[in-house]
Amino acid sequence: MTTANTLSASGAPTPPAPLPARAAPPPRPQPQRASRGRLSTRRRRSALLWALLLAGPNVALLLVFVYRPLLESFYLSTLQWNLGSPTARSVGLGNYVEWFTAPSTPTVVTTTAVFTVATVGGAMVLGLGLALLLDRKLVGRGLARTVAFAPYVLSGFAVGILWLFMFDPRYGLVQELLGLVGADSPQWYTQRPWPLVMVIVVYLWKNVGYVALIYLAGLQSVPRDLKDAAALDGASSARTLRSIVLPLLTPTTFFLLVTMLLASLQSFDIIKAMTSGGPLGSTTTLMYSIYQESFVNGRAGYASAVATVLFLVLLVVTAVQMRFVQRKVHYA
Amino acid sequence: MSHRPARRPRRHLAVASALAAVAALTATACSGPSVGSTPAAADDAEAIDWSQVEPASEITWWSNHPGQSKAVEEELIARFEAEHPEISVKLVTAGANYDEVAQRFQAASQTSDLPDLVIASDVWWFRYHLNDQIMPLDDVFEHLDAEADDFQPALYADYEYEGQHWAAPYARSTPLFYYNKDLWAAAGLPDRGPETWDELQEWDASLRQHVPANGSTFGLSTGPSWGAWWFENMIWGQGGEYSDGFDLTLDSDESVAGGQFLHDLFHASGVASLSADDAMADFASGLIASTIGSTGSLKGALDAASFEVGTAYLPDGPAGGGTPTGGTGLAIPSSRTPEQKLAAAMFLQFITNTENTAYFSQSTGYMPVRTSAVESDAMKETYAQTPQFRTAVDQLADKARPQDYVRVFVPGADALLNQAIEQIVIEGADPRTAFEAITPQIETAYKENVEPYL
Repeated sequence: MTTANTLSASGAPTPPAPLPARAAPPPRPQPQRASRGRLSTRRRRSALLWALLLAGPNVALLLVFVYRPLLESFYLSTLQWNLGSPTARSVGLGNYVEWFTAPSTPTVVTTTAVFTVATVGGAMVLGLGLALLLDRKLVGRGLARTVAFAPYVLSGFAVGILWLFMFDPRYGLVQELLGLVGADSPQWYTQRPWPLVMVIVVYLWKNVGYVALIYLAGLQSVPRDLKDAAALDGASSARTLRSIVLPLLTPTTFFLLVTMLLASLQSFDIIKAMTSGGPLGSTTTLMYSIYQESFVNGRAGYASAVATVLFLVLLVVTAVQMRFVQRKVHYA
Repeated sequence: MSHRPARRPRRHLAVASALAAVAALTATACSGPSVGSTPAAADDAEAIDWSQVEPASEITWWSNHPGQSKAVEEELIARFEAEHPEISVKLVTAGANYDEVAQRFQAASQTSDLPDLVIASDVWWFRYHLNDQIMPLDDVFEHLDAEADDFQPALYADYEYEGQHWAAPYARSTPLFYYNKDLWAAAGLPDRGPETWDELQEWDASLRQHVPANGSTFGLSTGPSWGAWWFENMIWGQGGEYSDGFDLTLDSDESVAGGQFLHDLFHASGVASLSADDAMADFASGLIASTIGSTGSLKGALDAASFEVGTAYLPDGPAGGGTPTGGTGLAIPSSRTPEQKLAAAMFLQFITNTENTAYFSQSTGYMPVRTSAVESDAMKETYAQTPQFRTAVDQLADKARPQDYVRVFVPGADALLNQAIEQIVIEGADPRTAFEAITPQIETAYKENVEPYL
């Protein structure tokens, strides 16, 4: 029989296939390389021109709306500029020095780390659990799937404001529910660390459905015969989950980890709607501090420096994930 | 991909032009500030001869509809268009509060997507002026015979800098002391607000027996554009202030005493409780017996409360006290054409004239911005029917004090001051420590964003 171990050795990096894995996929044809030397220079140049022409419009849009602002933001980070003024002063790396030495920086970084770990970790675990549940043949499964996914399509602002009502320590629904079990409501709006907990809970509520949906798709591409074989060999369902399902889900997990991490580090709307980064900065993440510095404190140059720091963090996180996490990915 | 017969020159041309277009787009889309050693001096643009200008046929107004006044503002526009059919006014909801409108206005400043008339709140207009984003109104008001000297002097003077006025008062307010008359009567107290903060503490013993279990005698909420506003009354009451001119005075004994007073109000005497979200909502629901709220909340409170609402001056401290003025004015962006500016000024004059400021005041609770409106029959009738409306106007005349520079003129200082206030109120922090923690940031903000432009 095939085990997960032998499977992992055969991995060609293709997306999860709906069919059971082939023992050894045939090498892909590589016509370009093979006939490279035979292709005339003229034809190659013409192909290149066509490629440029066809890619042009997209490249142009990317350049204008993604890369140009990115570069411009690097440039702004060397300025002292208040966003409204037609003039600015160059300060070199002064903004960076200030950020790295500011007394508020460790707090912001810690808050960001707590928020990111809690939202990404929580969403992955809860999402997987929900997916396993929704993968079973239950009555009303279609409805349950829709309901679980629905929060993801709602606007973060609307979600934040609705949950703000529910968390109200004096009149809110959460306070009522806690009252049923005899617990007092925490001061969700004012007392640390509850505002951060509140924001994390809402973020999870909004995003778990998305994680579950992607995991559900992953679960359905786990070959049936593998699970059947494991069952025949007497593996418990926990063992099957650990040794077969989870390893085969690693491409999905990897994809989710990257996208969720990026989304979490960039989240803004729920925080803005619910706490505006407060009280006392206890929900101010790196992303929120960029908004705060730029639009509230009128320090667009400094905010650009913080944005650059965030950009580098995201770049490093993604590179590390690509390099190390991908090695452990199993493809069916 | 299919290969058509080669028509190379054309293709080259196409590629070249595509690349050229990219390059051009990249270059022209570049915007942003120009870098100079010193910011451009705020030169007054050459004077416009307004008599030679024809007003534009359409103008745009960015507002957050202060005091839930969207319908009121639409009515003001309808009245204006009836009188001036040649000019139409487009009302844009540019944010949910003053800060959001200001942020949008800042972000749009390097573009042509600007309004002709914009909300300019007490903590924002000076920043607009420092950036040369708004124009002085004196000349155009003179041309229009706008009778600027009929504006309530304290309110119009708020927008004066170097002999010129940079905005006109519109939705102007002061903080008011709101109290629950029913609870007051039940506690056997006289039907008036406390004259001093000490008196409120004395009354606490009897009031406390009549508020709900999780309520309190007095409640407050904090937040940007709010906490550091009402706290001016308390810090002044102890003889302190945020700043003397632009010099920070948060470390003076009197200012620290102000912080200590706030600390004790919440953490020693227990007279006050922190409202989670909106103290006005807690007040209207009867949870707290009194609060501080803006004049602009008056109409809403009268409508929402099931009891009789009383309004009074803010209580005094041992060194007096007084009330800051606040709210918002309206300004005209300097980069608009003379035609647009003139039309905007005509509209501004119209909605702040005697009749319309009275209408706006009656509909919201904001103060009438013209002296003639305060004395008008319309307002007199309102004051006779709902005397609560009168308190703010009287308080303005009796107790108003210009705000400390640092709060209104230093970008971001209001939010930092609010942070110190929250530290004291929420965490019971030592006031001196809380003030010291924000001092370097306020000093940086002043050095970066104010000093070079003065």
